[in-house]
Amino acid sequence: MESHWLSMFDVTIDFDQSHLFFPRIVTTILVGLLLVIVVTRFRMIAPAIKRAGRVLVGSEGAFDHKRFFGTLALTTAYFYLMGVLSDVFPNTGYSFLIMSVIFVFLLSLLYVDHLTRRLFVILVLNALIAPALAWYVLAELFRITLP
Amino acid sequence: MDILSHLTPMFFGLIAAGTLIGIIFGAIPGMTATMAVAVCLPLTYAFGLENGIALLLGLYVGGISGGMVPAVLINIPGTPSSITTTFDGYPMAKRGEGERALKIGIVASVFGGLFSAAVLFFFAPVLADFAIKFSYVEKFLIILLALTVIASLCSNMLMGIFSGVLGVWLSLIGTYSITEGGNGEPRLMFDFMQYYLVDGFSLLPVLIGLFGLTTVLLDAEKGFKDDAVQGKISLKGGAKFRFNVFKGQLLNLVRSSGIGTLIGILPGVGGSAASVLAYSQEKNFSRDSSQMGKGAPQGIVSSESSNNALTGGALVPLLSLGIPGDSTTAILIGAFTLQGIQVGPLFIGNNLDTWYLMMIALVAANVLMFGIMYFAIRHIAKVIEVPKFILYPLIIMMCVVGAYAINYGIMFDVWTLLIFGVFGWVAHKVGLETVPLIIGFILGKSAEVYFVKSIESYGNLTIFFTKSPIAAFLWVLIAVSVAFAIYLRVRNRRRPEEIES
Repeated sequence: MESHWLSMFDVTIDFDQSHLFFPRIVTTILVGLLLVIVVTRFRMIAPAIKRAGRVLVGSEGAFDHKRFFGTLALTTAYFYLMGVLSDVFPNTGYSFLIMSVIFVFLLSLLYVDHLTRRLFVILVLNALIAPALAWYVLAELFRITLP
Repeated sequence: MDILSHLTPMFFGLIAAGTLIGIIFGAIPGMTATMAVAVCLPLTYAFGLENGIALLLGLYVGGISGGMVPAVLINIPGTPSSITTTFDGYPMAKRGEGERALKIGIVASVFGGLFSAAVLFFFAPVLADFAIKFSYVEKFLIILLALTVIASLCSNMLMGIFSGVLGVWLSLIGTYSITEGGNGEPRLMFDFMQYYLVDGFSLLPVLIGLFGLTTVLLDAEKGFKDDAVQGKISLKGGAKFRFNVFKGQLLNLVRSSGIGTLIGILPGVGGSAASVLAYSQEKNFSRDSSQMGKGAPQGIVSSESSNNALTGGALVPLLSLGIPGDSTTAILIGAFTLQGIQVGPLFIGNNLDTWYLMMIALVAANVLMFGIMYFAIRHIAKVIEVPKFILYPLIIMMCVVGAYAINYGIMFDVWTLLIFGVFGWVAHKVGLETVPLIIGFILGKSAEVYFVKSIESYGNLTIFFTKSPIAAFLWVLIAVSVAFAIYLRVRNRRRPEEIES
């Protein structure tokens, strides 16, 4: 009787399908939890999405579009161009060096509030020295793989 | 003695450098110890195991300690765990006792750090010896317990659990590894993704993205408006620091360090929980707490000793069970793997020299942190003025190096950094909890192997309850952690004023 009761919990896993066994359980739990969240907060979700939409298009809230999307665009361009350029200079780290100088300069320029001549010089020096130092220490001294 | 050969000037130099860089990261509001470890990770690729550990532990201890500087001087916690330092530190600084407040914090920090190092030294091997006997069933339950504890202590339990499960789900993307006994088949992705995601997302680019790039994006969105340091207080003049301020504080020091260590041992519970708990306990139990919140040294003592005690505490589950105690140790687990160390119950027994070196590095990091901060606090205090438009571009640059070099030059790892940087930003906006997410991500693959292998061996689900007394005991712990979380919620709902306090 007892063994019959325990056999209700018997599970066999087919080896060919074993890669799907655990992910299926986790996906089910995840979807279940998502449903619970949606149901319990149903009233809050629609206004929150509307508000997020208004913030993103700029009609509400203090969201710095220029700096946020600028960071995303510059970072994406930085990664993409670094990949392209690393095919031109493979295994030297030159692609990292060149792109980092440009990226660090442009991103600092995007972030700075009141640009003065003195600040401009500081930004240029920072953009030249810091990536060069990083490249020299990491790629030349420590022989770390760089793009 | 093989250990002595590793104790080179380079070893201690790297601890000092790590501690100093950590302090600087900790002292800049918004930048944390986790970020310090993530950004400096590429430097460790070049070093061997021992020197890499020296640098990483220095960064960890320094990063946690540095958070007190802006907490005292500008009323902004440099790291989340120094939140309670602002309560008494800033009022003291306003009275002209900024340097005194910082030095009280420094002494309390070194006490907390060394206390937790001692607990780590004596407790981790015992726990590891115990855990060696665990089979896959108990190992799975340990992971389940860790995720339950993390999720139940989140500010929103439902979101905490969801985040943890999402982390596990993300870790399963890729193939079911043949080396772990799987069948090598891909899952949870489209065909075109298979080329990039054979082994799933790499751990470190994910973490660097979540802790490096996300922070930058969150600040970029605010437009760096609060970048200008307002109301900064000078350290010159004011009452001098004397050690007699610690008279009668021994109980406070030991209790707060104990709380910090214990919270550190609980996986995934953030640093702010430790300092808030230690601070409120001091408020409840001290003979005179009337001045707390108005600039009482005892508040700084409890806050700073508890948050530094987290360091040793968080290393206990990492080194004995292979489960990270907080977000920084989550990155350390990746760094250790990179150096060829598999942390878990076998780690200490199989790597006795490394274990002792780690302890030496941890103690040295605390002592050096004390030396650097105590004698150079006036110079360190200037760090909070470094503008973010200089720092943040460099942080993204270092994140790229960390991600790219991890698997010796895979460009997809850099894209992973961007994917998870943006994901972290979205997660922050929709209220997902980062810490359960990353711990779920780290432990997800192991959880799968332990779960599936247990069922393959025994063929019955009841084995998870009946395998051994330890398994039953772990279920009791899981039930207790859930019940405790529910009890806390009910109590807080009844007495809302307690939440505020």
